[in-house]
Amino acid sequence: CHTSGMLTPNGKEYAQKIPREELTHVILKLLQAWKEPLSHFNQHIEHHQELPDDSLSKAKQISNMVHELKTGVEKIWNSTAQCSDTSVVFCSIIFKICCMCSTSLSISNEANMMSDSDFIHCFRRDSNKVQSYLKILKCRIMPENSC
Amino acid sequence: MKKRFISSVQIILQLALATVGLTGQSYPGKPQIIRCRSLEKETFSCWWKPGSDGGLPNNYTLFYSKDSEEKIYECPDYLTSGPNSCYFDKNHTNPWTTYIITVMATNEIGSNSSDPQHVDVTSIVQPDAPVNLSLETNTSANLSYLWAKWSPPPLADASSNSHVYHYELRLKPEEKEEWETVSVGMQTHYEVGSLKAGVKYVVQVRCMLDLGEWSEWSSERSIQIPKERLPPEKPVIIKCRSPEKETFTCWWKPASDGGLLTKHTLLYSKEGEEKVYECPDYKTAGPNSCYFDKKHTSFWTIYNITVRATNEMGSNVSDPHYVDVTYIVQPDPPVNITLELKKSIKRKPYLVLTWSPPPLADVRSGWLTLEYELRLKPEEGEEWETIFVGQQTQYKMFSLNPGKRYIVQIHCKPDHHGLWSEWSPEMYIEIPTDFRVKDMVVWIIVGVLSSLICLIMSWIMIMKGYRMMAFILPPVPGPKIKGIDTHLLETGKSEELLSALGCHGFPPTSDCEELLIEYLEVEDSEDQQLMPSHDTPSKNTKIILKETDSDSGRGSCDSPSLLPVKCRESRSLPSTLQTQDVRAKEKKGGKGSWDTRCTTSEQKALPCESIKTCTWLAAQIPSNQAAMFAYHSTVEAFKITLNTTNVNTSPVLVGNEENHQSLYPIAETVYDDLEKISEMEYSKTDQTTVQVRQNEHSDKSPFLNPKLMDYVEVHKVRQDEEPTLLLKHKENSGKTKKCTVPGTSKEYTKVSTVVDHHILVLLPDQRSQNTPVSQEPVAETSQNPQQSQADKNTSYSTTTPSDSRRDTSGSDYMDPSSFMPSFK
Repeated sequence: CHTSGMLTPNGKEYAQKIPREELTHVILKLLQAWKEPLSHFNQHIEHHQELPDDSLSKAKQISNMVHELKTGVEKIWNSTAQCSDTSVVFCSIIFKICCMCSTSLSISNEANMMSDSDFIHCFRRDSNKVQSYLKILKCRIMPENSC
Repeated sequence: MKKRFISSVQIILQLALATVGLTGQSYPGKPQIIRCRSLEKETFSCWWKPGSDGGLPNNYTLFYSKDSEEKIYECPDYLTSGPNSCYFDKNHTNPWTTYIITVMATNEIGSNSSDPQHVDVTSIVQPDAPVNLSLETNTSANLSYLWAKWSPPPLADASSNSHVYHYELRLKPEEKEEWETVSVGMQTHYEVGSLKAGVKYVVQVRCMLDLGEWSEWSSERSIQIPKERLPPEKPVIIKCRSPEKETFTCWWKPASDGGLLTKHTLLYSKEGEEKVYECPDYKTAGPNSCYFDKKHTSFWTIYNITVRATNEMGSNVSDPHYVDVTYIVQPDPPVNITLELKKSIKRKPYLVLTWSPPPLADVRSGWLTLEYELRLKPEEGEEWETIFVGQQTQYKMFSLNPGKRYIVQIHCKPDHHGLWSEWSPEMYIEIPTDFRVKDMVVWIIVGVLSSLICLIMSWIMIMKGYRMMAFILPPVPGPKIKGIDTHLLETGKSEELLSALGCHGFPPTSDCEELLIEYLEVEDSEDQQLMPSHDTPSKNTKIILKETDSDSGRGSCDSPSLLPVKCRESRSLPSTLQTQDVRAKEKKGGKGSWDTRCTTSEQKALPCESIKTCTWLAAQIPSNQAAMFAYHSTVEAFKITLNTTNVNTSPVLVGNEENHQSLYPIAETVYDDLEKISEMEYSKTDQTTVQVRQNEHSDKSPFLNPKLMDYVEVHKVRQDEEPTLLLKHKENSGKTKKCTVPGTSKEYTKVSTVVDHHILVLLPDQRSQNTPVSQEPVAETSQNPQQSQADKNTSYSTTTPSDSRRDTSGSDYMDPSSFMPSFK
């Protein structure tokens, strides 16, 4: 995976230890790192047409979601001082990322035969990472609901 | 010789025994030589079996002789071989001779001897079994051998003669039946190969001298062949699980060992690293497991895990198992499941089920998010109903039936990658059933009451059905005219009927024909009611004025109700007279009288108008009746019609209680030819007699105006020429309209009643001194019968009216009903 080199907290304790800003930064980095590969991947898939149609649309969905996630996290990054919007933003983010995770899971199930399976596998993992970090971040910032 | 001696002695003994046998004691039974055996051909022994002892102690002696000799020897040794035996040692044993052996049993009474036995030593040789059999296994180079060792059978005297035995060995696996026999030779050991490893074998040996028989088999010995020594098989990693996404454990299935001690080790390496680590903890999670604690658990990295089994023979490695901890999370089941019964607004109880996440899962920090699912079934049911609850830790159940027991279970899983936990222990739910009972009671009561009510209602309906029907749908009454027999009607005997009605000369005779008027429409209306019927009226017996409301809206007398059958209001009805007048007016046929009547100018004018209006009324009269009106006969003329089906006998007038009773003399006085009027007929049947009423209103001829009229005063009775009754308006007392009558005298008499249709009963007038006019035999028609009646009636009038009924209605007029006794 191209993101393997990134230094990311590898467990719960680490994720809880590092300050919030750093965690947000890590999330952003991850999301940023995936932006381009996803677009490449989409183009690649369109040409190859190895996946069924719904997977194609899912792949597109994913890249959109990544973009939205990135935007959302940036918001958080920029407004960590204010807590008013963050809950809304967080919920939407987390929802998005949940969708993304499940989508990527379904894709990876189908894509095992593909040569790009590594790619999808890496993406799936990283999306899971981002999801976990976001959840931790959310519960740190807003511990009241469902934490 | 000796033999004979012996046998004779035996016989004697036997005889003696036999004789003595009666006393319970006898000589002994015959012994029997069981066998003789030689162990090594140098000695031998014989054993015998005693017979019956005869009740006394026996002595046994063994005698033997060699084959060619006569000498009998006795057994040299009774002891060595045990009881009832004889041991022949070396000195007494000669292998090449045949011994003849006999055993004799002796007691006090007698003796008995066995059959002689020929024994050849060489043929009875059988050694003992070998002894001290020992077994060993030897495994060398993966082959297992069985090493068996034994000793020859022991001899009584450890002579140095080493007898050479032949040995035989047999073995079999313990569970099997078939022996495998191996001839060993003369060695006392043997090695068996090609045995199955891991099988327990049983071994026996026996021996034989070169001549003779085989000995018995020795006792069994068994030995377990050790299993093959192999390196272990491949172990298999079963699963790896993390209960809380912080640690994880892996389990494997051990390899089958060949009986050798096998040791397992787990080795892993992480993705991207080369270094291989060994499991940090084999113990915490139990046997054949490896527990990775927090320090050793990394996420989002793939572990490559293998298990190695090692034993003496070698080692074996399992297939690698790749694990990413984030995907193998399987939490514990939820805990703290509580039930709470709450009552909602509608008083239907519902259940709130709450639980908490498993204790290890760290939900609070958001690291692990759990989703819950619960399943529910009635206690006796088969199928579970599974409900996905989501991330909340409570659930409200509304759909439970009271009184039933339910089983509920919950489990959870991480919201994404992960596995469902085990189901929590069963939880029983039961909702109390009080409500149910109350509802049932209420419903039962309601049901019973309603069924009772239904029964009662139906019973009533049955009982009073007819009356109810009658009440709801009253029957249409048939016409009933007093004095008229419906049967007569049916039979069509008009004469009788008419006579009953008092109707004379109906249908009109030829006299009348000339008076028949053909009716024309008086009104210029399209009123169809005016029917020109001119013919002889059919035999209708009644003049029925039907109240057909074909009112076109014209006329003041707008509805047939103006022809009041009842005459409630003193409305004048179209008198027949009037109609006649009208018609008379119109037509000219022989109606001189008519014309004359109306020629008075005044009268003409008004009546015409009124006539007009009332013709309309008249028009209502059906044609037949109209025809009737043509009659000038007094009788017919005033037939009153009206009709209706009402059978009430009160004549209209009669019914009229008001002051305005009017009797009408029919102003047929007017007629010239007409006889006279004053006939009033009442049709009994009618309530609605047409009354020829006269309108009292001013300046109208009493006969003409159909308006209200109460009474008519008799103006004059003219008796001289034609008895005519002049009637006079009440109000217009001043005026006297008499159309035809030239009479000038003014005498007023009130008409009280009309009797018999042709007799006018007049009242003595109080106001005037007029002589009460007695009735006028008005009916001076051609009809004879009336005459008599007229006579009869003359006597009537004066008396009757005066007394009674004066004040009945507050007027001077009487209710004619009282005067109609003759009417039926």
